[in-house]
Formats: sequence, C-alpha cells, structure tokens
Amino acid sequence: MNNGNGRRLNGETEEDDDDEGSEGDLDAWERTYADERSWESLQEDESGLLRPMDNKTLYHAQYRRRIRSLSSQATTSRIQKGLIRYLYIVVDLSRAAAEMDYRPSRMAVVAKHVEAFIREFFDQNPLSQLGLVTIKDGIAHCLTDLGGSPESHVKALMGKLECSGESSLQNALDLVHGYLNQVPSYGHREVLILYSALSTCDPGDILETIQKCKKSKMRCSVIGLSAEIFICKHLCQETGGSYSVAMDESHFKELILEHAPPPPAIAEFAIANLIKMGFPQRAAESSIAICSCHKEAKVGGGYTCPRCKARVCELPTECRICGLTLISSPHLARLPRSCFGCQQSLPNPGNKPSLRVACPKCKQHFCLDCDIYIHESLHNCPGCESFRHLKSPIATEE
Amino acid sequence: MKFQIEDVTVYFPYDHIYPEQYAYMVELKRALDARGHCLLEMPTGTGKTIALLSLITSYTLSKPNNPVKLIYCTRTVHEMEKTLAELKLLHAYQTTHIGDRARILAVGLSSRKNLCVNSRVLAAENRDSVDASCRRLTASWVRAAAAANPNLPTCEFFEEYEKAGSNAVLPPGVYTLQDLRAYGKEKGWCPYFLARHMVQFANVVVYSYQYLLDPKVAGYISKEMQKESVVVFDEAHNIDNVCIEALSVSVRRQTLEGARRNLNKMRQEIEKFKATDAGRLRAEYNRLVEGLAQRGNLPFTDNWLSNPALPDDILKEAVPGNIRRAEHFLHVLRRLVQYLEGRLETDNVEKEGPVGFVASINTHAGIDQKTLKFCYDRLHSLMLTLEITDTDEFLHIQTICDFATLVGTYTRGFSIIIEPFDERMPHIPDPVLQLSCHDASLAIKPVFDRFQSVVITSGTLSPIDLYPRLLNFHPVVSRSFTMSLTRDCICPMVLTRGSDQLPVSTKFDMRSDLGVVRNYGRLLLEMASVVPDGIVCFFVSYSYMDGIVNSWNENGILKEIMQHKLVFIETQDVVETTLALDNYRKACDCGRGAIFFSVARGKVAEGIDFDRHYGRLVIMFGVPFQYTLSKILLARLEYLRDTFQIKEGDFLTFDALRQAAQCVGRVIRSKADYGMMIFADKRYSRHDKRSKLPGWILSHLRDAHLNLSTDMALHIAREFLRKMAQPYDKAGGSGRKTLLSQEDVEKMSDGILNEMQY
Repeated sequence: MNNGNGRRLNGETEEDDDDEGSEGDLDAWERTYADERSWESLQEDESGLLRPMDNKTLYHAQYRRRIRSLSSQATTSRIQKGLIRYLYIVVDLSRAAAEMDYRPSRMAVVAKHVEAFIREFFDQNPLSQLGLVTIKDGIAHCLTDLGGSPESHVKALMGKLECSGESSLQNALDLVHGYLNQVPSYGHREVLILYSALSTCDPGDILETIQKCKKSKMRCSVIGLSAEIFICKHLCQETGGSYSVAMDESHFKELILEHAPPPPAIAEFAIANLIKMGFPQRAAESSIAICSCHKEAKVGGGYTCPRCKARVCELPTECRICGLTLISSPHLARLPRSCFGCQQSLPNPGNKPSLRVACPKCKQHFCLDCDIYIHESLHNCPGCESFRHLKSPIATEE
Repeated sequence: MKFQIEDVTVYFPYDHIYPEQYAYMVELKRALDARGHCLLEMPTGTGKTIALLSLITSYTLSKPNNPVKLIYCTRTVHEMEKTLAELKLLHAYQTTHIGDRARILAVGLSSRKNLCVNSRVLAAENRDSVDASCRRLTASWVRAAAAANPNLPTCEFFEEYEKAGSNAVLPPGVYTLQDLRAYGKEKGWCPYFLARHMVQFANVVVYSYQYLLDPKVAGYISKEMQKESVVVFDEAHNIDNVCIEALSVSVRRQTLEGARRNLNKMRQEIEKFKATDAGRLRAEYNRLVEGLAQRGNLPFTDNWLSNPALPDDILKEAVPGNIRRAEHFLHVLRRLVQYLEGRLETDNVEKEGPVGFVASINTHAGIDQKTLKFCYDRLHSLMLTLEITDTDEFLHIQTICDFATLVGTYTRGFSIIIEPFDERMPHIPDPVLQLSCHDASLAIKPVFDRFQSVVITSGTLSPIDLYPRLLNFHPVVSRSFTMSLTRDCICPMVLTRGSDQLPVSTKFDMRSDLGVVRNYGRLLLEMASVVPDGIVCFFVSYSYMDGIVNSWNENGILKEIMQHKLVFIETQDVVETTLALDNYRKACDCGRGAIFFSVARGKVAEGIDFDRHYGRLVIMFGVPFQYTLSKILLARLEYLRDTFQIKEGDFLTFDALRQAAQCVGRVIRSKADYGMMIFADKRYSRHDKRSKLPGWILSHLRDAHLNLSTDMALHIAREFLRKMAQPYDKAGGSGRKTLLSQEDVEKMSDGILNEMQY
C-alpha cells in the first residue's frame, strides 16, 4: 500500500514538473535536483532499507491532531481570538545560525521563511503590527519597530544577514518586553522566537525575566531549529505560547505559518473592547505633502488622517501625530474570515475505509484533501452553501 | 484498579498499568507461591516499586490465614522515603476499596541520625557521634544515676517512651521517617526506639541493606523477624559488594594507635572500678563463666552491636578462661595490637589465608583461635561493665576486635593482605592490613536460610545467571523484563572510532595515546554543540579523568567545549561534588547548558539521577574495569575461580558492564523521558562485552549503531533529538498497547507475557 502511494506521489510531482517546465531555463530533471533536494528526504527504516517517501500519513496525523484540538476547544467554550496583535519576531543570529544542516544555512532558511511569514501574517491579521529583533554576540538589536508594512521588515532583515557570537534569550526578552509594555492593552502582545542556538548566555536570572513576561501577558512562542531546550519549553509553558522543533525545512515552514492565524485570546484579556479607528482617505494623485512617517515630501499617494490631517504613506498604521489607528475598509473586510471561519468539521470514522471528516451542520462528508482546501482557502462549507442555494429558490417561489 | 492474578486479587492504585508491571507481578506471585527466592530485572522508570508493593500486600490480603511480612531493603534513605510514599498511596487506595481489613502497619527504620528528635543529640555531626550522644542520655546506668540525681541530663523523649511502656505503640498506618518524627514529637516519645520496637509487629518494614546483611547490626534489629517474610532487595545490582564490605575489615596505623589509646583508657577505668566497685567486675566474671547466652537479659538500650560471628554455638559456649578477667582480656588485646603493629612494619606485600594467620598469631602472640573468636563479645561485655557510653571514641578497638573475631571464625573465603604502600603512590608509606572477604554468599546466606522468599530486583541484573552463582542460592524464578515504549526514547550507540577513523579505547596500552585523547575530546566537543542542556560523561577512574581533562586543557579542547557548555567535575570530596552538582543543575535549568564529568563507581554514578534535561546524553568513556592489579581483587578472582568456577575474565567483564549500564541508566528515569547513550570504546562492539548489557538497552541498540565514528554518531544524535522534540501521543496510538486498563488486563492472555520476557 505504501508503494502504491509512493508511486502516485511521484507521478504527481512529474506532472507538476511538466506544467512549469516552460518557464524555467533548467531541464526538469536538473531542477528537481537543484531545488528539491529529493535525496535529503530519503530515510532509512530500522533494517536499513530505504523508506518510501510517503509523508501522507504524517500529514494526516498532524491534521487530525489539529482538528481534534480545535474541536475540543470548541466544545469547552467559544474561544475569542486576538484580532489586533503586536508581534515581535526574534531571529537568533548567533554562531549556531551558520550551521549547515539546513541548506544553505539555518540563517538563510530562517530568513526565507520569515519573509513568507510576514506576508502571510499581514494577510491574515490586517490590523496587526509586527517588529523584528535579532540576537547577535549575546546582544539583542531591534531591527525594525512595530509597523504594518511587510516590505520594510523584509528589507531590513535581508540587509542584516550575518551571524556571530553567543545567543542570549534574556536580553532579547528584556528588549521586547520594554517595547511591548507600551502597547495599548487591547492589543495582543506576542513574541515569536526562531532559535538556532542550543544554549543561552545570560547576564542575569532568566527565570525572573520569564516571570516578568508572564506578568505583562506576553505570549512567547519558540520554534527551535535543532533540539528541545528546557528553558524554551519552560518559557512557552509559563507564558502560554507554543514550543516546537523543526525536523527539516518544510516542517519549519509549516511550523512558522501556524503562527500566522490569530491565537486564542488570553483569558484575562478576553473582554470586549471598543477601539477608536480612523478610515483615512487616499490623497489625490497630484497633491504634494510631507509625510509623517518618512519626514519627506511626496507627490501623490498616501493617506490623510481624518482627525489631525497628517499624511501617512501606508495602511494600516498608527497616526504619528494623534495616535489614532488608521485602517482602510478592505482590511476590515478581510477580518471576519479569520475570526469566524466556516463551521468545524469533526473527525468521523464512519464505515467507509478512507479518512474523512463530516460537517456537523449539513452532514456532508469530505476527504481530508478537500477539507484542508475548504478550511484554508474556501472558508465556507460547500455542503451548507449548496443547501442554502437549494432553499432560497423555494423561498422565492413561495 | 483491581484485577485477578490466578487466585490473588491485586489492588493497584492507578487506573492503568504497564504490561511489564503485570508480567512482573505474575512472576513474583509464582515465586511467592513456590516459597522460593527470585531474581527479577526490570528497567528503571517502569514502576517496579509499586508493582512489588501492591502485589505483596494484595497477596497477604488474599490469604489472610497465612500472612506474610514484607521486609523491603533500600540502599539510601531517599529511596526509603520514596518507597514509603508509594506505599502510603497504595494503602489509601486499598483501605477505601476494602475497608479496615486492609489496614496495615508500615514503618521505616533508619539510624538515630535520621530519626532522633532530641535537638541536643542531633547537634552531633556524624552518625557515630549521634549514636554515642544518644547512649549518653539513655543508657540504663545513666538513667539509674539520673533517678538518684535529677541534675544529670537524660532524654525526655526516651523517658516518656519508657513511661508509656507497652502502651507505646503506633496505630496502623504507613509511617515515613518524617511521619515517625512528627508522631514522636507530638506524643513526646522517642521515634527511634518506638520504630525499633514496632518493627516486630509491622506488616511492612522498610530499612537499609545493612540491617539484614551486616551481621553486627542484623543480630539485634532483625532477630525477631518471622520466617514467613518476604525480603526484597531493591536496586540490588551491587548486592555482592555490599555483602563483601559487611565482612571486610581494614586496619591502618591510625587504627592501631587509636586502639592503644582505648586500651589505656580502659585500664584506667578498670583500676578505678577495682578501687570503688570491685563487685561489678566480679559479677561480670561470674556471668561470663555461665556463658554469653545470658546477654539477652540486658536492657535493650544497652544492647549494641552484637557479635559478627554467625554460628549459634558461640553463644552457648562459655568464654575461654584466659579472657574472663578484665585485665587479662586487656593483656590479650594489647598483645594482639602489638602483633599487628609488627605485621604492618613490612616492606613487601604479603598475602595469607586466615588459617595461617591465626597460627602465626598463636606462635608469636600466644593467642589461640578460640580466644580470637570471642574478642568482639568480650569487648562489649567489658564496655558495658565499665559503663562506657562514648562508643564513638572506642571505634578503633572495636575494629580490632571485629577483625579478631572474623579471623577466628572463618577459615575459608577470606584472605589477609598487607600492603606497605598504595600501588599508585609507592613513595608514601601507608601500610594497611586488610581482611577481605571474597565470598558474597557468607553474609547473605543467613538471609536466604531464614526467610521464606527473598526477591532481588534491579534495573540492571544482566547477565542474570551470574547472580545465583555469586550469592550461592537457587532462585525459583529469574527473569528479565523489557520496557514497553510508545516511542524509541533511548538511543544507545557504540562509538568505536574517532573523527579520523582511528579506534578509540581506554585499554591500557592506548589510553595515553594522544590521538585517542584528542578523539575523545573532539567527540565531546561535537556532541556539546548538538545536544541541548545537560551532558554527563563517565570516565573509568579518577586518575584517568584527571589525566585526560588535563590534556584537553592543554590542547585547548576544553576551552572550546566551554563555549558551548559549562563544565563541572566530580571530586572525591563529597561537599565539593554536591556543590558542583547543584551548579550543574542550575546551569541546565537556566538554559546555559552544562557538562558533568564523573567517574564510574563513584558516588554520582550510583545514586544521582540525571533525568530529563539534566541528562540528554551520557557518554561512557572506556570500559570501567576494576583496577586489576589490586591485590584484593586478584585474591577474590582466584577464590571465585576455585570455588564457583567463574572465570576471571567473565567476572571482570560482568562487573565492568554492570557499572557501565548503571552509569548510562542514570539518564532515563521514566517513559516520558528521552536520552542518548554513547559507549565510546572499540571494545564495546565485541559480542562478549555487549551481550552483557541489560536487555532493555540491547533491544534498542540497532546493528547500524554498533560501529560508529564521531561524525556518524553526530548525525544520529541530530536526527534523534529532532525526532524526540516532536509532540507525541502518550497512550501509544498505533501498534502495541503500552498502558493497560482494567479490561485489558482481564482480557489479557499469556500472549503478552511471553512477549515481554527474554
């Protein structure tokens, strides 16, 4: 059975190659070797035989686990999600980041996926802001301040890719703590640490720092690149974050993207809050104004704050002058799907052999692939939708 | 949960049980049925203790007309407390399910140091001085004197306890040492004497090995135990060494000097008594004429260490005439000490059997064998007569008498070895005369004979067939159980080559080779860069560790290692080592990472756990053979070959491998834990060495991991650590079940049992 799956999988990749063959200048077989490094995913089983490349079962298991955790949460309480997030990404650029067990180096892989993550993050959390911090030589540097523009973050990170020295978790936490403490209380304070090193070289007692973070409700999550470290696990447990260790590059990508959708709100924060927001107008194409973010004159583009009439370049952001949260209506429109999503699908063994799930509302069954598609791209249940369409004509007839 | 094993209903305090625990119980039950002894090996972290306790207590409950007493022997006080805590849990469960019928009395017994509640006594620093200061307050003559003169200090707890008389009993329940102290404080009774008294009536007694194995102590603590008892030796992989130590004595110059001082003091005392109270000495003389057997009439606080000689007939015989009078006895001892001093004045190593030694004492000092045999008892009788309470000051003369009695009693299984200096430091004269016991079965024989069942159990008893030969008994059951795991959480590897593909070993001709030293250094360095948190390294000896750490320091490897992790070293000093361990733990906790250098057979290798992040990797540098040039070891090997037909090589390998297994076993203490073990020596890849490792390690040692070089080991370590860091399903989702619920156990046929056994 495994062999069958493996063959089918191989078949699929071949088809993909054919589709894209026209654009690349490498031959299909060359590209397979250059990009995918298929030999790295080969694994030996216990007796030394090569294991077929069958990650399907693994993915399914992971997916099932996710669904189960979702459903268990859904049954216990209606969870509220943090919509306005203030996230700092801490990238460890200590000596260990130069290791080559990820190709070409851990640092490069991290940077590549951080870029993807930043875009995904703003896509899913249009009201949120993000900042970058790096650790190098035992000192934490702030690369970019909290902001809403993916481009500036990515640019800043790519410019600073070199590593040296020790890593210090405490310094990073202290720095981030200082920044996040000023964030308004309706925002969710989060830290995502991408940790290459296996130890932390701290100036003081890190356990105190962890307690401090816990007190100011920072949710710290860590993705390790090599092995499980006790202090990171402790940090995540204390502050309610998640701790995971990447097996390889694709797993790392998966893990980091898991942090893109908004996390459940911390209990004490889960009170409804009204937030004042402004919807600035886009300035006319020809108007010239000094923007408040770059302090330089710009022609056209930009937005004007409805309260103080200051000019800003990008949305969403916070007005530099009056502190009003500025946002455009498309951002807001994108919100609901990430907070409400479509209804839960629950695992249901049924009497048919293959893995599948059923929608609790319309009782339609879906295979796992379809289900992933529904949850991650479609955001509404085809079964329910079609029922609604069936119903509405009847209603009009009456 | 509650289930049936044949005709016994077992009450188990948890909702789930591991299959190996079930199998363990079945085997144990069969051994109890057969009223025989058994050997059971099961890895640590699988809940041996609770399985043992719940089966034996349930066994008693199921057969009320044939109650068995459980005597549980542990190595350390800490283990004792842990066992009693588990028993408490079990007892609570059983009483809620069965009611009052399940009530039992369980006590822990330890030395006065751990049980005393009198602050004045506790101020003393070591065990012997606590004992002595207790006696100073509670000896019968002190109390008699205090009755006449109320200004003399006595122990109020003991007085209260005596006043309560036979009313001083513990209500049924499970008492840890702490509970005993609390109870004693509350009632105002001395917990030590209360516990000692209750040992006779308790259903479960938990105490240290010595109380059963050391004949000096066993005589008065364990005399009253009924035959229908089950004796359990937990963590018993070193039981033969404990037995041997209990019967070995070493005499140095300081001992003899101390003994002389003691003798002078005793002479003064005798003179004093002669002047004031001659009647006492007279009375003692009369008593000795009638025989030592009457010693039993003495009040029990005065009853200290009784005779190390095992034969019963010694108690019935009268003390020989030449040592009945106190001053004569002192003369005999003086001659003996003088003779021993003469023997220590030698320049070469001498080895002699007890028979020859006794004959030579007889010709040179004029003391015959029978007199020697009675020395120990005679000394104590004299010390009682002289009302000496400072027993800690008289340890030296006690050692001499102990020696004399052992030499006089045994003709086989011992040898006397005199070494003028330590082999490793030939320039410093440090003469030592050692009476070393070679036969572990001597000390444990009375235990096997007296009790219905003796259970010897540990995480590492492999090869399991050697223990019955060493201890000279016939087990009805001897089994080894493996561990059922939901994931492969241990990763043993045998590393035979360094990064330059040259073999590594601590073999004598290779150990000082710079290449080997460098390869070991590189191995540690590379591992330090991929393993998080704690790493523990074991070396074969202190001197080897000093040497290799020194050369690592010289060629800069140590400095590189320090960039990744802090380094801590075990030393022979206990306080220093404890401090190092504390700091090691701290460094692991705060994420700095640390390495602990330790020595196989050291304190750390035996008693300290490096579980969870305190030990993600343990590296065993070399095979921890004993120091093969040691005269004592050679004599023992010779004896083993002649008496038990155990080949020297076999015994040495067995001993080295059990130490190695002990060391690496420190790293994993529960199923949720994970850890790697590296055996870094090319000799481990040989079948005769490897096959002596315990089954639970061997079953995870894949063929592919048998002959690794540093870079391959590094790769495996990386993969393993990544795999272990992933979240996992604790109940064991696929394949075999690792947690059984009540229905599973009821349904279970013998199928699983056979699978579990080796």
